[in-house]
Amino acid sequence: MGNWNTYIMSETSDLTLELKHMIIDTLELEDIAPDDIDPEAPLFGDGLGLDSIDALELGLALQKRYGIKLDAEAEETRQHFANLNALQALVEARRVE
Amino acid sequence: MREALHLEDWQAWSAAQSGVAIRSQHDLSSNVSASPLPPMLRRRLDEVGRATCGILSLLDADRACPLIHASRHGDASHTLQMLASITQGDPISPTRFSMSVHNAVLGVHSIAQRHHLPLQALGACGNEFDALLCEAMGYLVEGYPAVVIVFSEGPLPEPYQEHAEDPGVPCAVGMRLSLGRGAKMVSQAVASPSRPTPADVIAWLNTDSPYLDGLRRWRLEAG
Repeated sequence: MGNWNTYIMSETSDLTLELKHMIIDTLELEDIAPDDIDPEAPLFGDGLGLDSIDALELGLALQKRYGIKLDAEAEETRQHFANLNALQALVEARRVE
Repeated sequence: MREALHLEDWQAWSAAQSGVAIRSQHDLSSNVSASPLPPMLRRRLDEVGRATCGILSLLDADRACPLIHASRHGDASHTLQMLASITQGDPISPTRFSMSVHNAVLGVHSIAQRHHLPLQALGACGNEFDALLCEAMGYLVEGYPAVVIVFSEGPLPEPYQEHAEDPGVPCAVGMRLSLGRGAKMVSQAVASPSRPTPADVIAWLNTDSPYLDGLRRWRLEAG
């Protein structure tokens, strides 16, 4: 049982790190390190400070890497992009293997 | 009475180890320690775009001048990458697309510096220098006390190199112009017009060459 929990934990943190790297590389955040991205902090506006062009770029990256298509106009898209944890939940639920 | 352009100050930049000589008081890299751009805006610009913003910030520190930026080729590297993506059927980067307009560098500068005066971006098939002076004169006779012009070229992608004129190295040069302060610029007709690059303008301002040939031959009188 303990091993299973450890397995789940490492899968989760692997994806967290993978998404942090995807954000940094895709958006050319040359002054940001993975540890600088707080999973609970807003990605847009205050928090990390991303803008609307970044949102489009991130949408394209999710489509390329995980096969997830989002509607740029939909309110739920806004919720998926709220912070890293929300983004991670989206990828876990909708990624196309 | 005919008004004459005067050169108040200038700044220049060239890529490291480019071999372009710039006197140190006019060399951007010896005059700025930190970029005037916040990181979230700076990431969108390449080396020459960042240098252009650095020059603009030094020459228009009070945000009191109309700004004109000229480049013959613009951001040719990223434009070519986008064209390659399209031919391969891949989606193009929204960031690259948004930055592919000719006035993108001025736009980033104006957001970073909260500059609210006129901005103008030019491309003129090799006559950028003359076009910059012509447009600057327009603003000055309208009553602006000074205008800052910047002429820059980034790296030219390999597929274009046999087919386009360029300075050979990324470089940028900026001049603050007025109608009465600094060195007077005088011009005369020239038998065979030239298409000067930013590197040619730097060589002239650096006094490595006594005049600069564009559509006219330009000289600086001692100010």
